Amino acid sequence: MKRREFFKTAAVTAGAAALGTTAAEAGVTHQPIDNRKVGNVAFPEKRPLITYSDRPPLLETPREVFTCALTPNDQFFVRWHMPDIPTYIDMDKFTINIKGLVKKELKISLKELKEDYEQVEVAAVLQCGGNSRSAFTPTPGGIQWGSGAMGCAQWKGVRLRDILDRAGLKKGAEWLAVQGKEKAAYYETPNFIRELHLDELDDHVIIAYQMNGEDLPYLNGFPVRLIVPGVYSDSWIKMISDITVTDKYQKLFFMDHAYVVPDNECECETPEKLFPKTKPIWRMNVKSIIGYPENGAKLTLKSQAVVRGVAFDGGAGIREVQISLDGGKTWDKAILDSGKLGRYAYRTFRYGFRPDNLGKLEIMAKAINKLGEEQPLAKDIKWNHGGYKYNGIDVVTVEVV
Amino acid sequence: MKVMKKALLTALIAATPMMAQVKEKIEVPYIAFPIKMGKGFDVVQANCLMCHSFGYIINQGRQSKKFWEGKVNKMIVHFKAPITDKDKKIIVNYLFKHYGNGKEQ
Repeated sequence: MKRREFFKTAAVTAGAAALGTTAAEAGVTHQPIDNRKVGNVAFPEKRPLITYSDRPPLLETPREVFTCALTPNDQFFVRWHMPDIPTYIDMDKFTINIKGLVKKELKISLKELKEDYEQVEVAAVLQCGGNSRSAFTPTPGGIQWGSGAMGCAQWKGVRLRDILDRAGLKKGAEWLAVQGKEKAAYYETPNFIRELHLDELDDHVIIAYQMNGEDLPYLNGFPVRLIVPGVYSDSWIKMISDITVTDKYQKLFFMDHAYVVPDNECECETPEKLFPKTKPIWRMNVKSIIGYPENGAKLTLKSQAVVRGVAFDGGAGIREVQISLDGGKTWDKAILDSGKLGRYAYRTFRYGFRPDNLGKLEIMAKAINKLGEEQPLAKDIKWNHGGYKYNGIDVVTVEVV
Repeated sequence: MKVMKKALLTALIAATPMMAQVKEKIEVPYIAFPIKMGKGFDVVQANCLMCHSFGYIINQGRQSKKFWEGKVNKMIVHFKAPITDKDKKIIVNYLFKHYGNGKEQ
């Protein structure tokens, strides 16, 4: 099927996102679906976004936003798991409860969090492990995200380590279970809890109450969420209620069954032969997205055109972004921003050129990190059953007129 | 002087946001997703909507019968949805008919 036909096939209905892919050949990974429009209903504190579900709310950021180093709060993607998310939090009563293997249990109010601890900030990318899932064939289960289940913000809060130091760890303390306030419809449903090993807690892991200088939006986890820079968003628990210190790892549905990839070198498998051993997704791989121009845009012949986008990885930092205008035969360096937001944030890139041929033009962007890891071509990305960790070279097709 | 001090203090307090921008209950809108009508829809509505919107179903992409069976099983085994065996069959058939890819496996 031709690209244009594909766009037509996956039409958008009633502000809802379209049904997943029907276009690609079996087994070959392709570009994620990119023809969805924002819905016509805005969610609280948000502009209209690409809308997959209202309960739980699942909202995707449109591509055009990925020219900015920081994603505006009202365009930041949203992903919850349970139907019952609190719609009001009484701040006079709200506390974060630190319990388990601690010398002193703590109930920390937001006021105490802001006044009794050292305040720190980190700029970091938050990305769903299933971002770009719609690239995989056959279609893995889960929401068929395009490329917008990600965003970057400046987070302000308190180091989790400082809080644990205040509570004092008892002998044998090894694991943390972080739990948020979202609730299932049935009591027996497993809660959304994330286990962190104490060794994974560096000084960048914070409990944040502020996002880009504002309170967190409700849908992004007001009043406080966990920030784990460099790591996929299933670890960034929203609306934190309890942090329990334990000596043993508890087996959890979302960590041990849902957000997992094959535990082999390529993290890949086939639908016919799933790999028996899995591991939770954790550090993000290197990725870039072109924010401008978008698919289908028209550029003027011989004009001074610009390509803009964002690149990031799991914290090694971006070394280079390269652009190809000839289908990947030759690559040319884009200009990166200063990198002052740090190694966990987006690096924005820009690339100027003159389109000198009429007709279709493919623009490709490839990021390379400081470890020398680079984005593969989409077709070289192998399948996994959850459709996680897609990081193919981004391609947009424009028309030179 | 005293007045000025007080004004300054008030300004300082006002500049320190201690409360959320949202001081009342947020209202998550209801979206009418274009779910297909057909045999078994009433059973889908009765069992699935308890926990999630139709958007969650229709945005999974077209899938095999085995996939939809697996999904419904997951809801029963992992999420503890009280779906009877009889309803399970009806739901799987409905999902495969309207959101299937034509393949059994």
